[in-house]
Amino acid sequence: MNKLFGMAIAAAVGMTSTFAYAERVNQLSDERVRQAIAYAIDMDTIVDTLFEGKAIVADSMIPNGSFKAEGLNAYSYNPDKARALLKEAGWDDSQVLDVVYYYGDQLTADLMVAMQAYLGDVGIQMTYRKLEGDVGGQLSKLPTAEDTSGIEWDIAYGAKAALALQEYYNGYKSGSSSYAPGDADRDALIARINASADPAVQQDAFKDFERFENTKLSDIPLYYQQLFIYESARMNRNGGQYGNDQFNYDWGITKWTVEPDANGKEVLYTNTAPAQFFEHPWLNPGIYVFSKIGLDRLLTANGSLAPTGGQLAEDYSVSDDGLTVTFDLKDGLTWHDGAPLTAEDVLWSIETAKKVPGINAVFQSTFEAIESMSVEGDVITLNMSQLDPNVFLTFSQFAPLPKHLLGDVNPAEFQQHPFWQNPVGSGPYKIAEVQMNDYVRFVPFADYHGGEANIDEIVAFPSGENDGNVVTNAASGRLDFGFTKSVADVASLEAMDHMRIVPADIPYTRSLRMNAFPKAASK
Amino acid sequence: MKQTALDKKFDKIRAMEEAGQLKPAKGSRALRKLMANRLAMVGLVIFSVILLMSIFAPLITEHDPQKINLRAMLKPPSWDHLLGTDRTGRDVFARILYGGRISILVGLGSALMAAVIGVGIGCYTGYKGGWIDTLALRISEIFMSFPQIILVLLLVSIAGQSLMNLIIIFVLTGWAPMYRMARAKMLSLREEEYVQALRSFGVPTVKICYKHILPNALGPIMVNITLSTAMFILAEAGLSFLGLGVPLSVPTWGNILNVAQDLRVLQNNWWLWLPVGSVISLFVLSVNFIGDGLRDSTDPTLQG
Amino acid sequence: MLTFIIRRLLITIPMMLVISFLVYLGLELTPGDAVSHMIDPEAAARMTEEQFAEMREALGLNKTFLERYWIWLTNVVQGNFGHSLSGGVAISTIVLDRLPATLELSVFALVFSTLIGCVLGTLSALRRGSGTDNALTVVGMLGVSIPEFFFGLVAILIFALNLGWLPAGGRLLPGYETFFDRLPHIVLPGIVLSLMMTAGVMRYARSSMLDSLSREFIRTARAKGLPAWRINLIHGFRVALTPVVVLIGFRLPTLIGGSVIIEQVFQWPGIGSEFIGAVRGSDYPLVMMIALLSVFAVLMASLIVDVLTALIDPRVRLG
Repeated sequence: MNKLFGMAIAAAVGMTSTFAYAERVNQLSDERVRQAIAYAIDMDTIVDTLFEGKAIVADSMIPNGSFKAEGLNAYSYNPDKARALLKEAGWDDSQVLDVVYYYGDQLTADLMVAMQAYLGDVGIQMTYRKLEGDVGGQLSKLPTAEDTSGIEWDIAYGAKAALALQEYYNGYKSGSSSYAPGDADRDALIARINASADPAVQQDAFKDFERFENTKLSDIPLYYQQLFIYESARMNRNGGQYGNDQFNYDWGITKWTVEPDANGKEVLYTNTAPAQFFEHPWLNPGIYVFSKIGLDRLLTANGSLAPTGGQLAEDYSVSDDGLTVTFDLKDGLTWHDGAPLTAEDVLWSIETAKKVPGINAVFQSTFEAIESMSVEGDVITLNMSQLDPNVFLTFSQFAPLPKHLLGDVNPAEFQQHPFWQNPVGSGPYKIAEVQMNDYVRFVPFADYHGGEANIDEIVAFPSGENDGNVVTNAASGRLDFGFTKSVADVASLEAMDHMRIVPADIPYTRSLRMNAFPKAASK
Repeated sequence: MKQTALDKKFDKIRAMEEAGQLKPAKGSRALRKLMANRLAMVGLVIFSVILLMSIFAPLITEHDPQKINLRAMLKPPSWDHLLGTDRTGRDVFARILYGGRISILVGLGSALMAAVIGVGIGCYTGYKGGWIDTLALRISEIFMSFPQIILVLLLVSIAGQSLMNLIIIFVLTGWAPMYRMARAKMLSLREEEYVQALRSFGVPTVKICYKHILPNALGPIMVNITLSTAMFILAEAGLSFLGLGVPLSVPTWGNILNVAQDLRVLQNNWWLWLPVGSVISLFVLSVNFIGDGLRDSTDPTLQG
Repeated sequence: MLTFIIRRLLITIPMMLVISFLVYLGLELTPGDAVSHMIDPEAAARMTEEQFAEMREALGLNKTFLERYWIWLTNVVQGNFGHSLSGGVAISTIVLDRLPATLELSVFALVFSTLIGCVLGTLSALRRGSGTDNALTVVGMLGVSIPEFFFGLVAILIFALNLGWLPAGGRLLPGYETFFDRLPHIVLPGIVLSLMMTAGVMRYARSSMLDSLSREFIRTARAKGLPAWRINLIHGFRVALTPVVVLIGFRLPTLIGGSVIIEQVFQWPGIGSEFIGAVRGSDYPLVMMIALLSVFAVLMASLIVDVLTALIDPRVRLG
């Protein structure tokens, strides 16, 4: 009884804070307030100090380059202007903004501290908390029918990592954003950026979009994050390229070498091995080691993820109207278990992926545009119902999976299939041993269509991209290769004589999502 | 014959007797014993210093623990910043002082509340006996079957993270040992003659329990409160290390020490972790010394 | 003896039932049910109420609370602990996977801390009041006053990073077959965990040694003129052993709880780090099941201790 009572109290205490400002009209729906917040935060100083110069201050969601509009307002630090805007908007300073984030690193916590101080300086109170548990559900939940916010937070600090630039803005489509209310003008702009595969036409559409969002500030862009690839002095890519390691590109892994150990064996150590199960590659196609070295795609891409040629496909083509796409598979492809890899596998994978909940957004929009598919021998033909600017991008990242092993899967429980305890792939390395949560051992796949890989063995430990173990493991010589976005880790790794860092520009923008929907009175 | 340790002791006692030091002194015997315990006194001094410095933090440092200065981040100790600055340029010394307020509140507050609940139930049910006693005993057994950290984490996962939740969780996990101790004491005291006398005079049960018997059990209760305080302060630090304690926006010792997880900080910025780590250890140590001294002074059966 | 064990079991079993009921209740109180965790939020938005109802029925979620508890309980008794929410892996698989690592670390720490604790505690008791005794008392106090993760991190800083003598974390490397291959990985976490636990053993050993040294038969032995070392070691220590066995027994379960934080510091892939991961990820079935199993371990350990004490010390009556 006592315990129950205690739980009830504990639950009640946990709830009270959440609904304290429930009945108010949402002040963040006023764009002047959003602009004031952008002016109040001194990103230049933050990047200079906290980020040690290892980030680029952002003025829009789209990274710098040929798609960037000129003359965007960067909202450089201007607390007076922020105060003036707040006054104009009639800011009620008794509201305490609920700011959430989902990264566990120290730098994020420090950034929150800085943000709290900067906002406090212009008269905006905020608290911050890290989302735990069902993060996705708390972060994005569509508003209810009366356009009442489905989410509890006011501001969320997070990232948008786009495989295709359209991804930065497609999520704002009316009825699909959990924090930015729909807008007919914006819907028109979204239609424009998806209307053509011609970069010149796309560019203009994107620039108009940037100017539009520059005053709207549905997201306040904070900074562009670089990706840092680290390598130990023991290993050598032998001319293989460097690029966006969060995805897949032609990095020439079969030619990599590593200094042999005392027994003459070449062993490369890396991380991102699984703790409970292997993550399937259709949400994050290239974060985890098995997806990177154990699976092949139809096409391959360069370091900036522009599709460059065939991988499993020998040949591929697209019709002039962009509505018929064909892939011709190489002959004699096999899975790691020796079973032949056929066009049927590819077809099955696409059909299954359409039904798996929560796959990569670029994949999903490509697959949704497919009207019908057909197979003739090694040739796969896709008939598209509408043009998809990213169809080749999708197939340079989407890894087909073996139908003969996964054919019985229920797509709703895709990740729960026993296959993911010891998966079979098609890439240059196959799994030799799984010690779940200890390590996974990979050895070269002898029948690999691109020739057998050089390094005898790749051992992966189950530390992730962003945890403290990266530095510990590197310091003790048990990390030869990996990538990170953690500025703190990079500084530690740089300080080690036996590690070198290769920065890579990636489309990855950290921003503040501003919840502009009115909040519900209570539940 | 070789002089043994026992002989030496008796010699000492005789010398003291002759010097007239062994006459019955005034005041509480337990208090005198405590005063004579050097470690306990050292503990009491350290405890008071840290406690007072935390309470009077604004008088001791002019720095605001939440005031950031990004241009002055990670500065080593200097006259302006006695213990340097942290990663957002906040004064570490001020943060430790202010952090102490919350950490001590969590530790001492939870221990006191656990004692009030545990002893409150233990005295009454222990004195009354019968089904209510059995029920309370069984409930306490259930709580005590869980390894402590497992129970704490289990409750954190159900209730979520907040300062208030943490205190409630500590109270929930800490009342059972207090209850057991109070009950045991009650069982032995309730048969005493003076209790029987009170009962025959028709003094109400509640009054007998809390007014007449409870004071006799205060010694062990105090010991338990101090030891629980130490345990809860360590638990708060441990939970903060796991990222499951008080939310990071609240400065507590555990949250300040949390940065030591970053190996670069561990290797290069000792002032961020060593002082606060030492303060936690010292404070807990002092509380343990006090608890130990209290135990020795209130429990006549314990030797040495 | 047998009746004693049976009687003890008869107390333990209802206890387990009550706790399992509370744990199941806790599971019920946590937000969402199995369906809401199984379906991705995006997919859930596209599902109809009927579909949800069908799924609930298929999973038996529309039965009454007690019926569901009964089904759950029979499953648990048969070793079917349910599935983890994050990956759908059977909880029994996860537990069996992680348990060896935790036991390895725990047993190491238990043996090591008991040895050191008994030796130092005895030493302390024999030299009661001396400088050694006082110094050991203070050191022992320090051992229970330093936050264990802080101690662990400093140990990593010194022995793994600065001196490079030992690996900083992890448990297994491929090809490390023999005990000696694997020894370096356990040394640092094992010793840190042991040292944190030595203080308690030391203190206990000291007071029980003092207790037994003041007993009648020791005085008799002394009077008989037996050499001091013999009296201390053989006579005194044997009697002092009973409380030490009790202590070890009570430490067995705390080792499962006690290694939680150390496992995290040293990336030790045991039950503790799994538990923390589950708490962080709100993987409620896994959290509840590990908690339940740890309670089971506690109750079993206390049963074993009672039996052992009865065996060692004939004065303890089985009652």
